[in-house]
Amino acid sequence: MIPVDHYLLVAGLLFAIGVVGVLLRRNALIVLMSIELMLNAANLTLLAFGRARGDSNFQALAFLVVAVAAAEAAVGLAIVVGIFRNRHTTNLDELTLMKH
Amino acid sequence: MSFDSAQLALSLPLLVVAAGGLLVLLLEAFSGTPARDEHGGRSYLAVAALITLAIATYAAVGQWAEAETPKAIYGGMFAVDRFALFVDVVLFAGAALAVLLAGGFLRTHRFEFGEFYALVLLGTAGAVMLVHANDLVALFIGLETMSLAVYVLTGSWRRSARSSEAAMKYFLVGAFASALLVYGIALVYGTTGTTNLSSLGGLAKGTGGAVMQEPLFLIGSFLIIAGLAFKIAAVPFHMWAPDAYEGAPTPVTAFMAAAVKAAGFATIVRLFTVAYGRPSLTFGAGGWASICAVLAILTMSLGNLAALRQDNVKRMLAWSSIAHAGYILVGVVAMARAGDDARGPILYYLLAYTLTTAGSFGVVAWIGSRGDERQNVDDWAGLAARHPAAALAMTVLLLSLGGFPPTAGFFAKFYIFRVALSQPGLISLVLIAIANSLVSVFYYLRVVTAMYFREAHRPFAPVRASGMTAGLIIATVGTLALGLAPGWVIELASKATLLGK
Repeated sequence: MIPVDHYLLVAGLLFAIGVVGVLLRRNALIVLMSIELMLNAANLTLLAFGRARGDSNFQALAFLVVAVAAAEAAVGLAIVVGIFRNRHTTNLDELTLMKH
Repeated sequence: MSFDSAQLALSLPLLVVAAGGLLVLLLEAFSGTPARDEHGGRSYLAVAALITLAIATYAAVGQWAEAETPKAIYGGMFAVDRFALFVDVVLFAGAALAVLLAGGFLRTHRFEFGEFYALVLLGTAGAVMLVHANDLVALFIGLETMSLAVYVLTGSWRRSARSSEAAMKYFLVGAFASALLVYGIALVYGTTGTTNLSSLGGLAKGTGGAVMQEPLFLIGSFLIIAGLAFKIAAVPFHMWAPDAYEGAPTPVTAFMAAAVKAAGFATIVRLFTVAYGRPSLTFGAGGWASICAVLAILTMSLGNLAALRQDNVKRMLAWSSIAHAGYILVGVVAMARAGDDARGPILYYLLAYTLTTAGSFGVVAWIGSRGDERQNVDDWAGLAARHPAAALAMTVLLLSLGGFPPTAGFFAKFYIFRVALSQPGLISLVLIAIANSLVSVFYYLRVVTAMYFREAHRPFAPVRASGMTAGLIIATVGTLALGLAPGWVIELASKATLLGK
């Protein structure tokens, strides 16, 4: 059996990739995908811990995270559509109407 | 876990607001009124929302006596204590002011739609859940319910490019913060095997607390704190706030600055008090008291310095709301040693700040007309000559934000600073806070002098709506009343019990 540390390491890497993606990429959709990556890293962590501890509550929490991620994606994509209609861009660096 | 009627009755404030939100949504769906009605075609939905909030307030107040002994319901996930009930009432007041302000504003700018009121109620329901959450899972769900509603509200002015831009920035940063939070929860859960705040607190006090020194637990806790710091817009997690506050429709800004921030602070207080009571987690280089002290200094100082150089009144108030988060953080730091004594001042501050900030954003919403939001400070020149009542209200609210007696803002700061001064080693923090309050007077008075001592260069055409007038009067009178008779409120707030304490 693969030890739990390996799962945690993969999850940590996924989370780090997600954080780097949010901080460095300027396209709103890519940033949104990076955030999904972070949420899935959290899910993987939960499931790995749950299996190691033999506790099924972890899986219930993972389901809740999936549900919230779906709601977040729905709202996020609607906001991207809204901004594309107004500004014809999804590049975050061009969203500078309010810089003072 | 069982769902008996006693538990349902104890969660009545949450149930009422959630049901009211869904009801307003249904009313909107089945109403035959055309979407673009300029004559208050949606007013009945605002009334329905206000009635919902009134019933929920009544339910929360009705539980006050019973909640002297805190209870945990729904398998320990949901705390019913006076602390949560007090914040509930603050949230309902903030939401009611946002609803009152919204009608006239939405009609003036031609985007009134019924879902707006439903979203305010559903966002409030999320905030109530957050405030009562005695479990990291409930905390996460409540936070997300609140945040998702507010993201949509921020972007609800679909024709305004600023509104969409604000929603985009708020959403991306908010979703990032939630991802940090949920990963932090996963790590804390994984190392301790529980997400219940009371269980975590028991672990911290007992011998099992050694697990709380593990690196994975500490990383998880830092991520949770960072996620919450984003929500209260504490520097350096604040960069979304000025843009989101400026771009959002002004009644939504009032809701964000008042209710969302109050719920965030209530969560922080509960989390730190209940789950992180262990001295090794509180003090020292990595303890939450030290982290909050650094956040408080950064938040106050940067918020005030940035507010000084704003010409846009709405953006100035946004930065000022960041600075106020810093003052409340001073109270959170004081809580590390003062414990229960610091909770009353924090609650008083949240109530005073909610009324004041919702009112001041309300005047910003009032002054604009269609296609001309008049947010620049020059646009406010000469307001006192044309609309003396509005100028007086704004003056009272700004003086309260600046901390002048006899307004609510003065006593809010006074109580927080007094409890901080009673603890050893916090004198320098309080001195920094007082210096910051003095700096803030400059930019608040700049608006006051513009209103009273300068000539108007173009005519005013403010929003005319009875709901908005009522909202402004309630906020201003409330700010004054809290300042003239602060005793009974601080008395009530200091009796606020907290589950697991």
